[in-house]
Amino acid sequence: MKNSLSKIFLFLIFTFLFLGVYGQNRFPKPEFDSGYEQPSPTKPEPRSNAMEILDVFVLLAALSLSSWLAIKKRSRQGILWLSIFSIIYFGFYREGCVCSVGAIQNVALAFFDSGYKISLTILAFFLLPLIFALFFGRSFCAGVCPLGAIQDLLVINPISVPSWIRKTLDFVPYLYLGFAVLFAATGTDFIICRYDPFIGIFRMNAPYIMIILGIAFLLLGMFFARPYCRAFCPYGVLLNWMSKVSKWHMTITPDECIKCKLCEPSCPFDAIEIPIDEKERTEDTVRKNVRRFSIYAILIPLWMLAGGFAISKAHVFLSRANPDVFLAELMITNPELIDDTENLDIQTFLESGKTMEQLVEEASVIRMKFKKGGWFLGAFLGLVIGVMVMNQFKMRKQDIYEPHKGNCFSCARCMDFCPVEKKI
Amino acid sequence: MSKKSIGILILVIIGIIITIIILDFLGNRPNNRGDNPYEYNVEEFKAVDASLIHYKETKNIPLGDIIARGMDIFKGDIYITGQNFLQVIQINGVKKLNVELEETGICLLVKEEFIIVGLQQKIILFDHEGQILNSWMPDKETTYITSLAMKDDILYVADAGNRRVLRYNIDGTYIGEFEGKSESEAGHGFIIPSPHFDLVVNSYDELWVVNPGKHALENYTDEGDLRGFWESSSMKIEGFTGCCNPAEIAVLSNGSFVTAEKGGMVRIKIYSQSGQLESVVAAPEKFVEEGKAPEVKVDENDIIYALDFDKKMIRVFEKK
Amino acid sequence: MAEEKKLNRRDFIQNGARITAGVSIVGVGVVAATKSSKDKYVWQIDPAKCTQCGRCATDCVKNPSAVKCVHAYDVCGYCDLCGGYFKPGMNALQTGAENQLCPTAAIERRFIEEPYFEYIIDEDLCIACGLCVKGCGAFGNGSFQLQIRHDLCDNCNECAIARVCPSDAISRIPANQAYIIKGESVANDES
Repeated sequence: MKNSLSKIFLFLIFTFLFLGVYGQNRFPKPEFDSGYEQPSPTKPEPRSNAMEILDVFVLLAALSLSSWLAIKKRSRQGILWLSIFSIIYFGFYREGCVCSVGAIQNVALAFFDSGYKISLTILAFFLLPLIFALFFGRSFCAGVCPLGAIQDLLVINPISVPSWIRKTLDFVPYLYLGFAVLFAATGTDFIICRYDPFIGIFRMNAPYIMIILGIAFLLLGMFFARPYCRAFCPYGVLLNWMSKVSKWHMTITPDECIKCKLCEPSCPFDAIEIPIDEKERTEDTVRKNVRRFSIYAILIPLWMLAGGFAISKAHVFLSRANPDVFLAELMITNPELIDDTENLDIQTFLESGKTMEQLVEEASVIRMKFKKGGWFLGAFLGLVIGVMVMNQFKMRKQDIYEPHKGNCFSCARCMDFCPVEKKI
Repeated sequence: MSKKSIGILILVIIGIIITIIILDFLGNRPNNRGDNPYEYNVEEFKAVDASLIHYKETKNIPLGDIIARGMDIFKGDIYITGQNFLQVIQINGVKKLNVELEETGICLLVKEEFIIVGLQQKIILFDHEGQILNSWMPDKETTYITSLAMKDDILYVADAGNRRVLRYNIDGTYIGEFEGKSESEAGHGFIIPSPHFDLVVNSYDELWVVNPGKHALENYTDEGDLRGFWESSSMKIEGFTGCCNPAEIAVLSNGSFVTAEKGGMVRIKIYSQSGQLESVVAAPEKFVEEGKAPEVKVDENDIIYALDFDKKMIRVFEKK
Repeated sequence: MAEEKKLNRRDFIQNGARITAGVSIVGVGVVAATKSSKDKYVWQIDPAKCTQCGRCATDCVKNPSAVKCVHAYDVCGYCDLCGGYFKPGMNALQTGAENQLCPTAAIERRFIEEPYFEYIIDEDLCIACGLCVKGCGAFGNGSFQLQIRHDLCDNCNECAIARVCPSDAISRIPANQAYIIKGESVANDES
């Protein structure tokens, strides 16, 4: 019995050895007379899953604290300290990865790539700040997001930007979000992570060009406060939506606004909405604006159609961002490169045993995804533009000084400027 | 700073940011990525001077789905064994005989009177109709039989598992064994880091055993005393590299050796009896990279047959 | 009265929008959760696909790279003439720097006993250039291989070397299978 068992065991071992992928195992192991024992290769473990879960809890705690500081405690000081903590923990210690901003792409990939599994901690990083924004405003931006925090610390001489520039810049994050999702969903690239300007600073180690990018953003931020958050951040778009309808949002004044104007220059992000003179609301202007508003509302589907058409038309161009498509096209348009022994990408492809037909087939599948995705992206961007244009004629009623719920980062700077004391 | 100069500064910085992103994106595409600063061209070692190649592939016989392990050539027919079979195929590909085996046949030796098949731990004698005449098992459980050869009436069995050559009578009687060890420096014993351990008897009735760990071919007397050897370690075409080469050998009628190597450079070469490289049969380009060493056999007309495990075919090489 | 009604209407819209937003977050969360995994994912190089193009050394965000040469001893032949250690055309089988293939002398060659030599990678010196991997693959058993070392890897969400890898050898895998070491993988999978 023992004999046959050991034989089976031996047989199994040999089957592994020979049917195995590598099939080149030494056999039998050399018998070292000198008593040498073969070491086994070390395998340093990745950061443990428990630590990742800890990160989620730190995020949860920081979000809660930030919300409490902004809404209940009304403490700019507290948010400042929290910012510093976040820069140290999420920034320098966790080296900026994975962050909620980048998690957009993981979620997008999980939706569109059936083979991809998103890890639950990343999903939590994506969802938690949104849920908090829905209830408490953008407390994530206030002092939790390391990217926001590092810029926030360097707001030195913020200038107020004309509103037409601001409105134009408002569109860029939508563009960035749209393309980030399109590129992630087609498995092309994670552009948010690739061009994260501060990650090189947090790691204190990056290609020099990325360091320059980070420094450029920080320099810019000295005058145009939080440039990444306001003009790029794709996650900010989602937070903006959530925060707009947030249940409890930070307020400038602890009690009733006395319209003293003192807070007006306090916001470096131009996120304070000032009261609108009621005298301007004449019957005539109201009627005019309502008419324009309705016309532009009707035009929105046209915007969407035009956008979808334009971007899906551009799918050939856009799909070149995908390395497979690019390679296929490169080899078709420049057949002489196939003989170029210096071109590693082409040579490696040729040696891989994959045929040109397979590559072209794969590339055209990806291209079709771009075409389809282009319609969605274009329609989305068209919708955004349409709504933005339409909102130009929205008659806001504004009689007190209030933060713009969507754009406000809940940084709590304005509170210190408010002379009103809370009535007990 | 005036508002104007701040505005200009902002514009400049935005310009820098956009330029960086565009430059990085465009500068990192398959048509303009930098060269490998750590280029190591091993291709030049794989390349073989065409004037050295004296053979050409004249024929190949695809094997289909079977997993072949060993081969021998006898009177123009090809005998192969492998996962649970023993087959005889004519050169035109027609199957003459098919015998099922209980286990995987690893090596094979065909003589006038019988066919000897080596399983991992068993030796089986068949007649030419496929009937079992006799079978026996070596004593040790770690036995791993890799090759068979016969001289007069003595069967030499290469046991890679125990680094020894066993001797048997044809009825299965154990006569003796040797491990290639001797007092002299040359006689280190067989070094077999992977299950490749081949032996042949040439037309002068000399027993040659490969010592793959030393890149050596060693000539032994019937009793297992080392009579002579040559070794050739080199990264160049003249020698063998890696842990265990040559992995397979065969002999031509003039006593020259046909060697087959495994690993990064699978190739078949011919060495003189004294170990001089004479010519190349097949360069690495003919084989799969990092492939298995083909089993090589020679027929009476000095035509070389190679069992290519990676391409799953028998390839025939003849002198140009 | 009219004022109150208007306020109510505003509240109603706000509430409706909030619920819509909440439902959509939950919706996204639930759909994503069906495609989620409790595992942490890390990057890994498949040694069977790796062609040692040198980009692990040049493109990793870490400097020196978080990729290192790992020695799969199970596959090593303990050769005297090691294709991964020696430069082709070396003067002699000796440890002189002029004989070594490794640009940073990160491989230690240690005599065990006739005729075996052990080769040990000093990971502090290794820059992941892949020269030894290529040499060992060409002349030997291929026991050297490049692997991402997870004590060094930042586990970037977008891996810079995965993006530029010409052979698509780098992919995300669950952290409990973080390494493919030649010769081990097969047995591990079965057991």
